[in-house]
Formats: sequence, structure tokens, C-alpha cells
Amino acid sequence: MEIIISNSSGVPIYEQIKEQIKTKIVSNELKSGELLPSIRTLAKDLRCSVITTKNAYEELVRDGYVVTIPSKGFYVAEVNLDVAREEQLNKIENLLDTVVTLAKTNNIEKKTITEILDILYEEEK
Amino acid sequence: MLGLIKKDFLMLKGNFKTWLILLFVYIVMAFQESMSLTFLLPFMCVVTMLSTFSYDSYNKWDAYVCSLPDGRKNSVRAKYIATLLLVFVTVLITTILTIIISYYRTNTVNLSSIGESIFGAIFATTLLQSIMYPAIYKYGVEKARITIFIVIFGTALVGGVLSKYIDFEFIIQRLVFLEKYIMIIIPVVIVVMVYISYRISEAIYKRKEY
Amino acid sequence: MENILEVKNLSKKYTEFELKNISFELPKGMIMGFIGENGAGKTTTIKSILNIIGNYKGEVKVFGLDNKNDEREIKEDIGVVLDDMFFPEILLPKDINTIMKDVYKKWDSDLYFKYLTDFNLPKDKQIKTYSKGMRKKLEIATALSHHPKLLILDEPTSGLDPIARNEVIDIFRDFIQNEECGVLLSSHITTDLEHIADYITFINNGEIILSKTKDELIEQYGIVKCTESEFKKIDNQDYIKYKKTKYECELLVENKNEFKKKYNVNTIDKISLEDLMVLMVKGEK
Repeated sequence: MEIIISNSSGVPIYEQIKEQIKTKIVSNELKSGELLPSIRTLAKDLRCSVITTKNAYEELVRDGYVVTIPSKGFYVAEVNLDVAREEQLNKIENLLDTVVTLAKTNNIEKKTITEILDILYEEEK
Repeated sequence: MLGLIKKDFLMLKGNFKTWLILLFVYIVMAFQESMSLTFLLPFMCVVTMLSTFSYDSYNKWDAYVCSLPDGRKNSVRAKYIATLLLVFVTVLITTILTIIISYYRTNTVNLSSIGESIFGAIFATTLLQSIMYPAIYKYGVEKARITIFIVIFGTALVGGVLSKYIDFEFIIQRLVFLEKYIMIIIPVVIVVMVYISYRISEAIYKRKEY
Repeated sequence: MENILEVKNLSKKYTEFELKNISFELPKGMIMGFIGENGAGKTTTIKSILNIIGNYKGEVKVFGLDNKNDEREIKEDIGVVLDDMFFPEILLPKDINTIMKDVYKKWDSDLYFKYLTDFNLPKDKQIKTYSKGMRKKLEIATALSHHPKLLILDEPTSGLDPIARNEVIDIFRDFIQNEECGVLLSSHITTDLEHIADYITFINNGEIILSKTKDELIEQYGIVKCTESEFKKIDNQDYIKYKKTKYECELLVENKNEFKKKYNVNTIDKISLEDLMVLMVKGEK
């Protein structure tokens, strides 16, 4: 499992861990029922505090992506991918909302925005 | 505590050559005059032990040992026992050598005079130890050296002054009858002296903050 | 969560220096970074915990036991690295093994020699021939070889180059994989602690001025940078300390998000432990 931590991004480390594990679960890179590294091992490998990894896992448990089995460890939960997709779509909608507001206040046409989107999509490939 | 005794012995390992030289000197001297230097080896025990105190303080061993289990409790005891063990061994060697050499030279062995000489050596050695160790624990090695100098010098001075007013000759003559018991008195004095010294050192060490 | 170490109202008076009511707790399985200037009281606190100095007021509990009544039992399970205090340097590392076998019941000779090999420390050379870094590593090897549960380390990384520091920090990280263990680590090299510590306790002038999880500190505290005119509008209650330079004002704030909500300032920086220390000690209120 790859997790890349940036110390200068301004995003709290526990959130970086949480988001990256979440992404891996949603993209099915981590399959449900898979055992995750223990809090301590992960902290050691990522060179961060135990409290950080504990926080990340606790939030993942709270959001339903991970289940904890006492004295055994943390496992990837049976995630309803539709729900997860819905969540991501919500996020995108929010971001686009900002884009649209910004475009409207600056009199930028919808066409220009879709063009940018097309270019960005192409680049991503 | 065994560990701490071993520590002092391990520290003396490097002095092995010096000991061999001293042993050689002693043997040579003993062939000239059997009982001249019986105090040499035992006395050197205390002197070399003093060097271990210097090394200890240089690396702040006393603070470190206090962080170990029973360190503070055993540190002083280990030092005394290590010294006494060393004195015991050297006295044993000296005694055996003196007897052999004296027999070789004169074909007779005067056990009682050898005994007196050896006891004298032990007394001088343990006296030095008993004064120095508490002084070292209290003031450190450097100041303790000065302390012992003052003690010896002071005693001589006071003795000198007092001799003008007190007739020591007279007192000694009164005490001559004790000579018969000297072989009992000296060991008792040694034991009491070392014990008191040890208790004083221990009390100092217990309160000391490193 | 159980505490492996508790210090309650520790006070100690010297003629020129005083520890004032030091209190902090270290939970099991955690590493606490103990930071402060030289002379702030780190070593005095550590020496009190270990009873190297006595005559202090207050209570110290290790593994839930009193550090004076159960001293022997406690010390069997503590490993220490003390700044500048160690075996006399005419001894050899292998002598330390001979001695320590009789000092700790659980001394593990194999483990000790394994550390010596891992750290590239020759066991037959007098300690005085060692470099400063080698000596530190030897002290650490000695502290770890009786399977301690609590490590108390006073400046264990001072004098080490960055590579050696990293090696040493990794050892502590390995050590803490066992949840029953704990580490109290004093240092003024704050970057080391940023990587390893779970808790930060900050001592200044004999007083604990904060003891928190590192995540709380790094994520909540912030440095606000503003102009003098902006500074004048800010309520005294909303910052901890400030520092003025010719060009700007720097404010240490306890919660950067709340501060952002209340005031409209452009620059709020993430804080490093070093900034925190400097502002706490040198800043004004």
C-alpha cells in the first residue's frame, strides 16, 4: 500500500492518510475484508505519531470505510460503492459550484469552462 | 553489588604491568631486608583505588550509578569491598613471599615478627583508606588529597606542640603492658576503623546529589 | 489509557534555580518529547524522576508505583541515557556487559552484543577512543539491553550527525512497537521530536508551560504575521505571545482556525516546534 505524506501541504497528516486510504478503498485497490497495517506499524513506517494514525483510522471507522475488530486490528469495510460514489459526486458538485460562481462574476461563458474541462480530462489520460 | 565490585577490578586491569614491577621491586628489597617494605603492595592498592575515584568523577559515574537498580545503595559498599579484597590478596602474596624469602636468607622463620610487620602494613593501609574515602565522597578526589595532607601535617604539628606539655614517653611506658595483646588490638582497631569510615561514607553518599 | 509515568507537583529549590510544581503524564505506548532551553529544568526533572537527586517535593509514579518506595523494582524496567554521565571511559564495552549482567536481572548479553555489531561499535576498545556519536550509541545500546519498559533519555541525539540521529530515532520507533512501553525523551533538537513524539511537554524556567499531543500543537497552533496597525486591532486574549520586528508582527495563536474566523488576516503559518519554543521563550505578552 502506498501512502504519500507531505509535511508542507498544510493538510493535517491524519487527513492525508485518511483521504488516501479512502481513495484506495473506493477505487477497489484495497478490497473489503483486507487487513490494514496496525496503528503502530503504520506510524513507524510513515514516521509520524501513533496519535496521528489512530486519528486517521478512527475517522475511517466513523465514516464506515473501515471496521475494527478488538484485539485483531482494522479491516476494510464492506463499502457500498454507490454511496461512496454519491459522496464523491457531492464533493465535485460543490467544487463546480465555486467554479460557476467565479465564472459568472467574471462574465466567462459556459462554453469556455467546458473547453477547459475537456482539456483537463485529456491531460489526465 | 557484585557487578559494581567487578567494575572497580576491571578498571584496574590496565595497571597490571605496574603491579608486576612493584612485585619485582618488593622481591628485590625483601632479599636485602626481609621486612622492610611489607606495606608496599597493600598500600599501593589504596593508591590505585584512588585513581578509580578520579575516573569515576571524570565521567560522572556516580550520577549514572544512582540511576541503576540499587546503585546508590551498593556503590560505596562495592568500593570498600573491592579495596579490602585487593588488600587481602596483596597481603597474602606479601606474607607468603616474606616467609619464603626470609627462610631462604636465614634458614629460619620468625613468624611473630613477620606477623607484626604485616599487621602494621594492614593498619597503615586501612588507616589511609578510612580517612581518604569519606573525604573523597564528601569533597572529591582533588580536595581529598589536600585534606589528607592537612590531616597528616596537622596531626604532626599538634603532636609536636602537645609534646611540650605532655610527657608522651611516660604514657607509652604505662601502655607497654598492652604489647602482649597487640595482635588482638590491631585487628580490632582495623575492623572498627574501617566500619566507622564505611558508615560515614555511606551517610555522605546517601545525601549527595549528583 | 493507563499512564506509564506520572509526575505530580514536583518542586525543587536551588539557590539560583527552582522547579515549580512540575506535573505531566505519559500514557503507555507513547513517546513524549521534553523540550526547553538549556537550563530550563529538563535534566533536573529527569534526575528527580530517577532519584539521582532527592529532597524534592511532589510525587513521581512509574508503572503506577511510587519511585521511592518501589525504587528497585521500577529501575529494573527503566533504561536511561543521561547527558554526559556514564561508565568511566577507561572501561571497554565488553566490560559493561560483565558489570551489567550482575546489575539487571533481565540483562541480555546477546542483545547487547547485537546492538554493538549493528551500531559498528568495537567491543575491545576503551570507551575513551570512541567518537561522541559512538559513545552516544553505546549509551543507548546499554540502556536497551535489559528489555526495559520505560526509556528515559536526556539528550540522546546531541552530538550525532543527521544520519546517526535518524538511526537512533528509528530504534526508539521500533521500541515503541510494544504498546506496554513508553519513552520520555528530552531534546533541544526539535526536528527530531517533530518526527517521533506523540506528546510534547515544554518546560521553561522551571515551569511546564504546555503538555499536549504533538498533533494538537502542530495543527491548531499557528503563527500570524501582520502589520503593526493590524496588530493593534487584535484582542490581547486572542494570542499567546507576540514578537515585533522592523517589518512585521508575529503572533503565536492557540487555534489558527478560530483566529481566521474572527480576524481577517492573510498569513497564518503552520508552526514548527522550533518557532513555538522561540516565541514562547522570547516573545512578549
